[in-house]
Amino acid sequence: NDKSFLNVSPTGALDDSQLNTPDNIEKQVIAAYSQLGNDIYYVPYTSMWPYGNVRGGDAYKGGGGTADVDAFHFYETFTFNRVDISNTDEFWYRMYLSISRANDALRRLDAIDVAAMPNKAVRQGEMRFLRGHFYFLLKEMFKYVPYIDETIPTDQYPTISNVALTNDALWSKVADDFRFAVANLPATQSEIGRANKSAAQAYLAKTVLYQAYTQNATNAVTGIDATKMAEVNSLCDAVISSGKYALHSDFATNFLTSGDNGVESVFAIQFSRNDGTPKGRTDRGNELNYPMNPDYGCCSFHQPSQNLINAFKTDANGLPRFTDFNTSGDLVTAGDFLSTTVDPRVDHTVAVVGHPFKYNPTFVFDNSWVRVPGVYGYNLSMKESVLPTDPSFQKTPPFMSSSKNWAIIRYADVLLWKAEALIELNRSSEALPLMNQIRQRAQNSTGLLKSASGAPTSNYKIGLYPAAGFSQSYAREALRFERRMEFAMEGCRFFDLVRWGIAAPYMNTYFAKEKNLRQYLSTANFTAGRDEYMPIPINQINFSKGLYKQNNGW
Amino acid sequence: TPLASAFSTRSNNSLLADIKISGRVNDDKGVGLPGVTVVVKGTSSGTSTDVEGNFSLTVPDNATLIISSVGFVTQQVPVAGRTTFTVALVTDSQALSEVVVTGYQTQKRADLTGAVAVVKVDEVKGMTSNNVVNNLQGRVPGVQVTTDGSPSGANAAVRIRGFGTLGNNDPLYVIDGIPTKTGINQLNQNDIESIQVLKDASAASIYGSRAGNGVIIITTRKAKKGVTRVDVSSFVSAQTPGPHIKMLNTNDYGRIYWQAAINDGATPNIPFYNFQSHQGPNGQPVLDNVVVPEFLDAAKTQRTADTDWFKETQQTAIVQQYNVNVSNGGEHGGVLFSLNYYKNSGTLKFTGADRWTGRLNSDYSLLGDHLKIGQNLTVSKLQEAQYDLNLIRDRSSQLLNIVPVHTVDGVGWGGPVNGIGDRDNPVRLLTDNQQNRSDLYRLFGNGFADAEIIKGLHLRTSFGIDYSLYKYNELYKTFTAGYLSNANNRVTNNESTFGNWVWQNTLNYDLSLGGGDHTLSVLVGNERISYNQEAFYASRTNFASQDPNYIVLDAGSANKDNGGSANSYRLASYFAKVNYAYKDRYLLSGTVRRDGSSRFGADNQFGIFPAVSGGWRLSEESFLKDKVAFISDLKLRAGWGQTGNQDIASYASRAIYQSSLGTLDPNFAYDIGTAYDIYGNDTNLLSGYRRVQQANPNLKWETTTQTNIGADFGFLGNKLTGSVDYFIKNSTDILVNLPYLGVVGEGGDKFVNGASIRNSGWEFLLGYQNTLANGLTFNVTGNLSTYRNKLTYLPDEVINAYGGNGQDVTRLGHSINAIYGYVADGLYQNATEVSGGPTQVGAAPGRIRYKDLNGDGKIDNFDQTWISEAIPDFNYGLNLGASWKGFDVQVFLQGVQGLYANNNAKFRTDFASLASGENWGQRLLDAWSPTNTGSSVPSLTLVNSNNEGRASTYFIENASYLKLRNFQLGYNLPTALVSKIRLQNVRFYVQGQNFFTIKSKQFTGPDPEVTNYQYPVPRVFTAGLNVSF
Repeated sequence: NDKSFLNVSPTGALDDSQLNTPDNIEKQVIAAYSQLGNDIYYVPYTSMWPYGNVRGGDAYKGGGGTADVDAFHFYETFTFNRVDISNTDEFWYRMYLSISRANDALRRLDAIDVAAMPNKAVRQGEMRFLRGHFYFLLKEMFKYVPYIDETIPTDQYPTISNVALTNDALWSKVADDFRFAVANLPATQSEIGRANKSAAQAYLAKTVLYQAYTQNATNAVTGIDATKMAEVNSLCDAVISSGKYALHSDFATNFLTSGDNGVESVFAIQFSRNDGTPKGRTDRGNELNYPMNPDYGCCSFHQPSQNLINAFKTDANGLPRFTDFNTSGDLVTAGDFLSTTVDPRVDHTVAVVGHPFKYNPTFVFDNSWVRVPGVYGYNLSMKESVLPTDPSFQKTPPFMSSSKNWAIIRYADVLLWKAEALIELNRSSEALPLMNQIRQRAQNSTGLLKSASGAPTSNYKIGLYPAAGFSQSYAREALRFERRMEFAMEGCRFFDLVRWGIAAPYMNTYFAKEKNLRQYLSTANFTAGRDEYMPIPINQINFSKGLYKQNNGW
Repeated sequence: TPLASAFSTRSNNSLLADIKISGRVNDDKGVGLPGVTVVVKGTSSGTSTDVEGNFSLTVPDNATLIISSVGFVTQQVPVAGRTTFTVALVTDSQALSEVVVTGYQTQKRADLTGAVAVVKVDEVKGMTSNNVVNNLQGRVPGVQVTTDGSPSGANAAVRIRGFGTLGNNDPLYVIDGIPTKTGINQLNQNDIESIQVLKDASAASIYGSRAGNGVIIITTRKAKKGVTRVDVSSFVSAQTPGPHIKMLNTNDYGRIYWQAAINDGATPNIPFYNFQSHQGPNGQPVLDNVVVPEFLDAAKTQRTADTDWFKETQQTAIVQQYNVNVSNGGEHGGVLFSLNYYKNSGTLKFTGADRWTGRLNSDYSLLGDHLKIGQNLTVSKLQEAQYDLNLIRDRSSQLLNIVPVHTVDGVGWGGPVNGIGDRDNPVRLLTDNQQNRSDLYRLFGNGFADAEIIKGLHLRTSFGIDYSLYKYNELYKTFTAGYLSNANNRVTNNESTFGNWVWQNTLNYDLSLGGGDHTLSVLVGNERISYNQEAFYASRTNFASQDPNYIVLDAGSANKDNGGSANSYRLASYFAKVNYAYKDRYLLSGTVRRDGSSRFGADNQFGIFPAVSGGWRLSEESFLKDKVAFISDLKLRAGWGQTGNQDIASYASRAIYQSSLGTLDPNFAYDIGTAYDIYGNDTNLLSGYRRVQQANPNLKWETTTQTNIGADFGFLGNKLTGSVDYFIKNSTDILVNLPYLGVVGEGGDKFVNGASIRNSGWEFLLGYQNTLANGLTFNVTGNLSTYRNKLTYLPDEVINAYGGNGQDVTRLGHSINAIYGYVADGLYQNATEVSGGPTQVGAAPGRIRYKDLNGDGKIDNFDQTWISEAIPDFNYGLNLGASWKGFDVQVFLQGVQGLYANNNAKFRTDFASLASGENWGQRLLDAWSPTNTGSSVPSLTLVNSNNEGRASTYFIENASYLKLRNFQLGYNLPTALVSKIRLQNVRFYVQGQNFFTIKSKQFTGPDPEVTNYQYPVPRVFTAGLNVSF
């Protein structure tokens, strides 16, 4: 009869209810994890480079000119950023897409009987960890976002405003996910890619650290919550005392495939290739960020700023030149790096003409490897790239990619968050050894920084901070500088600046000098009270029929 | 009684002198017409013409001959003592006795009550097009055809009476009774006997759920009773590519780049140009010279050039077609066999297509003609370049002219270097992909049996198939082109089978009551369709050789990958139709169809689609008939009906989760993978499932309700004929995949019955045909149609998803193609204007000024409006034909008036800031500057700070055009000559297509028909030969 004739079952598909078995719930957990790395170069949320580095004065957009992915140019210069830039809207959507995968798994986990799935709480912890991660990214980008968890029915979504929760309450929501994860995750996981208790403690520390700097309606930092800082300190202590993590002896290991899941990796995105999937599950968010030479081919995005390079200069004691690093001449040629002492981390971070690229003395970075030096200068970023001979290297024509993991949290972060908390708690002397631990490692990280002759590539000199004069204000300045050196080009600089409440003066000072080198920055200007956050995408405001409220100043 | 009077007439005439006459009846091209009735006026004595169109008869010397044949205007010829005659019959465009296929049955044209357009196959069969539907362009009022120049004809789009839905607007094709929605470019044009377009719902409703966009019925040729004939035809065409946008040469690109950088206050700096300039008197730099180095790259492999990429990628295409058609009609059946080969080398190099089509149609009458069985079958194979050909056009406008086609060794490829965008060399793309051609095999046809159970009662069953096999082996070659390279080759074999069977059963009863005053036909039937699709691919990389004989999968040594998918849907339908006519004056027709589709929610699988229509043949009324001499035919028609649409994803009503290990090409789409290396060891990836869409168990048919009123008329012995129609078409419950709030997340897609659209319009058709005393036959046919389109309803949750300001301005009341954007109000001329104007981020002299529509002093989201409805005022076509003594000429013009379209090419031609590292248009040479303030092209800049790529009236241009689509001149050899060599007919012709265009001065692109970068519509010159024996 017609009813049976017309009953055609979908092929290659399952319906919602079929996914509630323990086996399939495990798979939904995997699907949520896979969203960590499902990136694309024009909305890169794994490395966050356009939002964290380009907006923070550490990097230029790079690429084929200011019009090449011009959304990032407008992010970089602020002046012409708009509410209708589609990349911003897509970032927003991609975050909620990721959150929906975590919520999908959580909805099923919440419903299943623990007898049927003994590891229910662990998996719930993992999913809330992932959801916390994506909300964290949304939060640092947009400040005010609708908060939706797995208990809210889909038909209620249109009723939830982005301003339903205050800034602080939203941070607490993000923190709650990590608190749950801390409470339920085991100390170690047999599968290396899963979040464990320490990862959750670390991410919770990061969240609480951001929350500790209270902001007013115009994004100005109004105070620092000591209780929260104390919590950050103890959370970091928990991670440290777990004994599972340490700094790699060589800074380089963090940026080599061989360092994947090494001792410094607290939580990382597991990329893979030759893995049975069509084109590999590789790092696509960074795929524009390779040199233009024939071994690679494209696209010279994400170029370190001159300001950042100059910041690696050190003084006679091997300490940062806080006041004059950017007024004492620019580090440009290979010769400049020999005539001035520098922090070794510069040659791990920045490709310099005449220096070996990515630790290969016979693979020397050439000025022809840069795309439009007249606009963006002659330097490229190296932390995210791999050598063309590396087993993780994957061409994804016309772009480049790799299966090298990308760290969400590395142990150095935990040490410096703790140091930051201690300094703000006016316990700077306790922060000193942590910061010196970082500097000591940097000092030891010159083994791979050799030219073909075996000579050091640059004139390295990096010293430890002396205890004398390590006042709170000095320590704060040193901490902020240390974070910049340690995590340059790793996607966090701008968010650090906003957290500390110094984004507007810092960026406008940066522009005032940098525009003399890079003319396209002449129109750049940071508007305090507005540019700390992206505008809520106009599409989302329209779709919400005005329920969503635009951020301050937009 | 008629019989008695015939006898009496004969007896009277027999008193007069009889003479023996002979003659020949030709069509208007001079081809002999078999089976033409030749009768002496006022008698029943007569004969019919033989196979070659000859007749002989003994008649009174003062007799008048009435010469008639179905589909031709009847002629009266006085004998006046002559003994030999040559008579040319003119095709009757409004042949009322013509039989028209209207859906599971045939009707006399005079009895039609719906809006049915009959395409004059004679007019279009000479068109050398690669897709039958291209021949309809401009021919049928209310039918719009848009096409490009792709050699396989695959990209033609047909729209009947506007845009009725938000999804697929393609009509349903019914070929020999078998419905299909897949393209019909595999059809051999020479096989076509007739084409009818069912435009309104009262006509189309019998096809129910799939008829919402109108129906095109195609009937193929069958053997004619008693006729054995072989037709051989061939043509050769030369096609030259249509015009393209004009891009900057090497030197001018440097000059524009320099000036743009200077305007930005930057130092012009591009690796492969040296600029020589000096400080001018006003302190402004002045460019003296642009110096181009000898080589682009340090390795000196790429010598700088001035390559015209359009020229390098284009060629004059040669098109050939060969056709043989053999038909043999016997007393109890006939067989027709045809074979066709078509080859088009393409106006872009290596993009040719070729096609074989074979057809076998046969039918047999058994049991004293009470049982008819037969079959129709087409087998075709289409081979075409399987590559994004539009990309070539795009690349040709993107890659700078300074890049050479080849490196200095003449073998390697030129390509982008630093400072040039990552756009590949289009010549390389064409050359390296030339082996990448797909084969599409298609089997289409049916077998049927038709039994006449009692007189007038026919039981018919038909089983049809439409199955395709698609095979495509792709070799992705290793290459180096500038900084673009790929070291690993890859071979991918794709195979897909798809198609459906369709089983139809109908019972048709024709009867006549009350001495013929009442005629009634009743049709009932059912139909079942089952569609299945299955596809897989397999690929490997690292092939030691790229020789076509080597690249089988086994030869690849790495990265074994494969994938596959499947899909199916089914339809079950019942239908009935009643036609009633009283005294041939009052016509009434009603249909009802009940359709079930597997695509809808279990509770809403079935939809009912009724229709009624009526006609009044005024010309048959006693107060007109024979009283008003110039009215030969006049009929008023009115109809109302509903049709449906089910064209959505097969499983649209269900919530679906799918596994997707990783995305195949995640460079240009988000990666949606569900697999993750949770073990951190690159193997044994686990995978989960992603939600693809949300469920909607209430999903049901989209319904289109259409009302049509019209009139058909024939004046002056049907020399002047025409029709007028007005329609209102309301589509409701339109199936939309709702755009959704970002927070809904993955798989938020949900098909719902959402929007409503209203189309309405007028259609006019007017034709005149006549034969002059000197034998000149001519005809003029013109048509004009309009439609207006507006969205009348949107669900509240998506009201802002179709444009508008998010508050009070929505798409409601505007066309579904309407463009929302800013009003560009010229250019800011000076700093005073800028400071005096509203706050506009990026405003500066020479930049586009946008209108502050809401007057709030700032330019933002709320200063947008509907800037074009993107619907033409009207479409029209004009066909002129004439023949005389074996010569015939045809001229066909087609046009669109009042269309304001988005000219996408302006992104390329008018801005140096919207695409960096890519070539720009020559229009920039006239860009605004303080000394060239009259220009409408904004000042040169490399940075798009004013967001000038935003949708605005800057891009909206008058895209009206009038094109000479066809000019054809033919000659038929005189019959006497042809008969001597035992042939029936020999015809030569030459033809030109698209030879000139009239366009609006405002339109800045080369061709208003091409507002994107698609495959260019070519100019065509053709010579052809047809022979019949």
